[in-house]
Amino acid sequence: MKITLTVNDQVYTRECAPSKNLLHFLREDIGLTGTKEGCGAGECGACTVIMDGKAVNACLVLAAEANGAQIRTVEGEAKDGILSPLQQKFMEHHAVQCGFCTPGMLMSLRELLERNAKPGEHEIKQAIEGNFCRCTGYQQIIEAVLDLTGQLEHKGELRHV
Amino acid sequence: MYDQIDQKDLSFVGHDVPRIDAIEKLTGEAAYVSDMILPGMLHAAVKRSPHARARIVRIDTSKAMALPGVRSIVIGDELDYRIGLYVVDKYILAREEVRHYGEAVAAVAADTLIIAKEAVRLIEVEYEPLPAVLAPLDAINIDDPAKPGKAPLVHPKLGEYDHVRNAFTPQPGTNVANYTKFRKGDIDKGFAEADWIVERQYTNPSVQHVPMETHVAIVQWQAGDRITIWTSAQSPYAVRNLFCHSFKIPHKNVRVIIPYIGGGFGGKAGIGIEPLVACLSRKAGGRPVKLQATREEEFSLLPCRSALTYRIKTGVRKDGKIVAQKMTMYWDSGAYADYAVNVTRASGYSCTGPYEIPNAWVDAYTIYTNKPYGTAYRGFGHVEFSWGLERQMDLAARTIGMDPLEFRRLNTLKPGSVTLTGERITEHTGNVTKCIEEAARGIHYGKLTKEEAARQKKTGWKIGKSVAGLQKAPAMPPFTGTAIFLKMNEDGTATANVSLTDMGQGTYTSLAQMLAERLRMPVENIKIAFECDTDRDPYDWQTVASKGLLIAGNAAILAADDLLANAYDMAGQILRALPCDLDHDGKGVFVRHNHEKKISFAEMAAGYAYPDGNGIGGPLVGVGRYIAQGLTNLDKATGQGNPALDWTYGAHGLVAEINEETGEYNILKVCSVFDVGKAINPAEVRGQAVGGMIQGLGTACCEGYIYDAEGRLLNPSFTDNKIFTAMDLPEVIESAVVETAQLDGPFGARGVGEHSMIGVCAALGNAILQVTGAELTHMPIRFEDVWRALQTKQSPDAWIVKSPVKHL
Amino acid sequence: MLCEFDYLEPTTLADVLEILGQGDAGVRILAGGTDLLVNIRAGLITPKALVNIKKTAGLDTFAFHPDRGLEIGPAVTINQLITNTEIARRYPLLEQCAEMLASYQLRNRATVIGNIVNASPSADMAPALLCYRAKLTLTSKRGSRKVGIAEFFTGVKKTVLAADEIVEKITIPASEADGKGGYAKLKRIKGHDLGIVGVALHKKQDYIRIAVSASAPTPILAPDFQAKDSPDYIAEQVLAAIKPIDDIRSSREYRRFMASVFVKRLLEEVRA
Repeated sequence: MKITLTVNDQVYTRECAPSKNLLHFLREDIGLTGTKEGCGAGECGACTVIMDGKAVNACLVLAAEANGAQIRTVEGEAKDGILSPLQQKFMEHHAVQCGFCTPGMLMSLRELLERNAKPGEHEIKQAIEGNFCRCTGYQQIIEAVLDLTGQLEHKGELRHV
Repeated sequence: MYDQIDQKDLSFVGHDVPRIDAIEKLTGEAAYVSDMILPGMLHAAVKRSPHARARIVRIDTSKAMALPGVRSIVIGDELDYRIGLYVVDKYILAREEVRHYGEAVAAVAADTLIIAKEAVRLIEVEYEPLPAVLAPLDAINIDDPAKPGKAPLVHPKLGEYDHVRNAFTPQPGTNVANYTKFRKGDIDKGFAEADWIVERQYTNPSVQHVPMETHVAIVQWQAGDRITIWTSAQSPYAVRNLFCHSFKIPHKNVRVIIPYIGGGFGGKAGIGIEPLVACLSRKAGGRPVKLQATREEEFSLLPCRSALTYRIKTGVRKDGKIVAQKMTMYWDSGAYADYAVNVTRASGYSCTGPYEIPNAWVDAYTIYTNKPYGTAYRGFGHVEFSWGLERQMDLAARTIGMDPLEFRRLNTLKPGSVTLTGERITEHTGNVTKCIEEAARGIHYGKLTKEEAARQKKTGWKIGKSVAGLQKAPAMPPFTGTAIFLKMNEDGTATANVSLTDMGQGTYTSLAQMLAERLRMPVENIKIAFECDTDRDPYDWQTVASKGLLIAGNAAILAADDLLANAYDMAGQILRALPCDLDHDGKGVFVRHNHEKKISFAEMAAGYAYPDGNGIGGPLVGVGRYIAQGLTNLDKATGQGNPALDWTYGAHGLVAEINEETGEYNILKVCSVFDVGKAINPAEVRGQAVGGMIQGLGTACCEGYIYDAEGRLLNPSFTDNKIFTAMDLPEVIESAVVETAQLDGPFGARGVGEHSMIGVCAALGNAILQVTGAELTHMPIRFEDVWRALQTKQSPDAWIVKSPVKHL
Repeated sequence: MLCEFDYLEPTTLADVLEILGQGDAGVRILAGGTDLLVNIRAGLITPKALVNIKKTAGLDTFAFHPDRGLEIGPAVTINQLITNTEIARRYPLLEQCAEMLASYQLRNRATVIGNIVNASPSADMAPALLCYRAKLTLTSKRGSRKVGIAEFFTGVKKTVLAADEIVEKITIPASEADGKGGYAKLKRIKGHDLGIVGVALHKKQDYIRIAVSASAPTPILAPDFQAKDSPDYIAEQVLAAIKPIDDIRSSREYRRFMASVFVKRLLEEVRA
């Protein structure tokens, strides 16, 4: 079947098997490999993208269902080679280690920030509850968002004793 | 290599420099092997055993082969190659017999993954199920593990397998893949001296690493046995070396390329699916083949952390001094020895913990069973034994009526102490006592704060506190080495090539900081090439053991010094000065007493050219080589020797609130302290401290393999094998460092990648114990386990085997 | 990676019913897909065709009518329910159960009705709907029928829904609005997880209703209680109604114990 969708403001029309999920469509048919597959079963959130304004696990959306949809992926986050403020804060706060969960994490948070410009710590945690990160322990990710939204009381630090 | 430099005189080391790989990871541009597609690439899938142990009667691949789009199928019978890190015991695909649930018996490469999976479905395998050996203690002759037992043998041909003889001792005719022992002092005398003796058994299950990127490899086996391997692995040279040994192919023919890695945690330390994918490519006429494990395959096709059953017997004097400890460890290796034999050895020489025990006796066995096999896992055995050891410390302290913190402080290793293997601790080794004290201070040990008291009153949930100590040295060959190539670019920036990998732990950023410090140029001017390539990058043993920062850090300093020496040589000629009168800044070399006389790195990068065209010097490069110094193999009879490159000490203080009725608990605070020697990048150290601690709490609270009575894994996915999410964080997390400089560490630093995971499980168990009396001996600690322990409320008396008072 | 199947996107309910009416068991309704696509990937289901009903007119009904009560169509997602503050206020238990269901991303796709039709014993929406005595409208070419939620479930992953039927809507009586209540769910982690046992309690002026998930082959509704009944009596009756099993998530014994604890905790909360 033929589908047309808009990804990061670019329109793509492709032939697509009805059984293909949006994740594989983005990675294989459009070549946007920033969105990762961590489990294929909606548990880990590595494949999180924003579809019509909502964070979704791209592994549990058929590409066919996204026909006509507006999709945003990690590749749309930086503009003209400049990191977005959210990405900048991730960098500043060392919120990235292996980087495999990062694209999905960013998309969950991007969607959060669009519905809530000043999310509290609990709301941040809820928004990324479905995004597994095995490296960071989440702390520096949460601090990055608190800092971005002007709520970080003191910068997380490694105390020297 | 440590020069005492005050932090205020360091421009890059000791600063929160942003990760050098942050941008490509934040934009999604970093390409992992799972993102790669090569021209003509085929996709592979694996047929796996539904049985824990069975004879393979017949494999029929005809229907699968007939499926359009299938390009190659391999089965075990045609692959007479054995692989093994330390004991060469594993075929690429099971032959004659399957040895664990999920083991690969056949594999397919096809045009698409859908076709490959359909072909796998069409492969018919007839099995004759055999009685499986599942429990490690049933697998051996428990009275004398060197003698045959009653259980069937997982490897009847163990005696024929090649193995690393100076470190490991398999016991042919038994299921013991390795036996390691340690003897220090006089154990009988020690126990005789003890006023109290407590003895208890502890258990931990197998655990999955859960890197977010599952194992994936692309291999192309071209004509003339020229092979290229792209793989998500930790150690390019280990993959190449083990691959070449198995296939008897010259090392020069095999190229291993490792780009960005989506986490490893030990699960990608050695060799994995690469040989299988290679065989599929060879049979498919040299087309590249890609195999990516599904999340479910991560749990049982690929290895896990070994389960452990162990007994600890501790003798303590009335004054609180531990005088004797006997520990017997039964490591459940699963079907293959892989790293488990070395986990056994490394945990053996560490298992007295950060404490001085004058008389110690350790017997450690690696036992084959018919389960998915164990491999390296962050902590390399220490997470496992520290659970029991630190629980035992609290048991012993309570038994003699001493505060557990005071008891630990009394027994810590201090300058002059001697370790289990006979190494003398100095004031430069690190300060575990301080770590323990600071962790205690961080949680207000021994009392409730005003807020905590109010909370306890309001909720009725009891608040408990505990501190656990920890320590670990790298488990590695005594001669572990690495090298770094450093190249000055034509514009005066520099690029380094290493084959230590950065799978997220951040070592590359630290290396860049050290190079920057030495070259005196901004970190932004330095690149560590992120893709490792054995055809291009110099040797590194493996990216494991928390040794990368120390060994590669030293190599980086030496590479910078070598490059500078070459630059000074050239500059001396150009500036007509003796090298001893030269100095440099980030731009180039100048004459110390005449700053006007200078020459830039850029002008020398390709060799210097005089105005008339004459050239001198040649391209500006540096080579740094470093190898661990002064370490020895261990004596096989006593375990005595010097195995430890460096000891990183630490401690976790933990606060938990527990519902005594239901066993539910919340972790309120964790304060972790490590003696890292020097925090090269404090923010990255914190990332390791928090990340590992959370992974440790996952192990403590919810992770672990569950099997049925036939050895089938019941929870091979995230549905029933949960890991911690952002919602699971302790309410407060604090991380701190002590900096006792390591004299052979770069800028005094030692590794800390694994340590944060160690000991936190026991800290949780001890905090629960402290206020509820729930005695827990098995990880993970589920609410139900606490509830059950609270039902029985065993008194410590149950484990006292010797007492100065007559109450037994 | 999924098996091969066709994909249909009917625009009217009549078209949906026509497709379902062909009697092909391989045709499955695709709503949120958060269970269906997982099961297809796992090879548990190999459908011939999926019928996406999210673009079908009228199936996104989501409104409160003072006479008919709250109507929820099969395209309504869990997050739609959570973010509708008016409905969350009227039916607090719906919101509480919804918030305990899976993760945020999944709640953006998962539907209320899908959670019920999937008929997992641990379905988080079931306790709320049981407490509110929701009615399901099952529609096929043959006509419509109404089934009480308690009669809908017949076993683990089994319901009375026929192959040619769709749950056109769930109706919650207006009379159940404005109660007090809560949902207590025992999980292995604080993050998203299936329930080991879950207890929902709904209290109105003169009665208390309790439903339990993950404690029997189907979610269970206990008999109605009077507001004055003692916690011990209520807990005892709830325990008599459930039949939990031993599995890798928990023992039967602990499930029963925690069900009783949760009943008492919730009673204390609503009586506070």
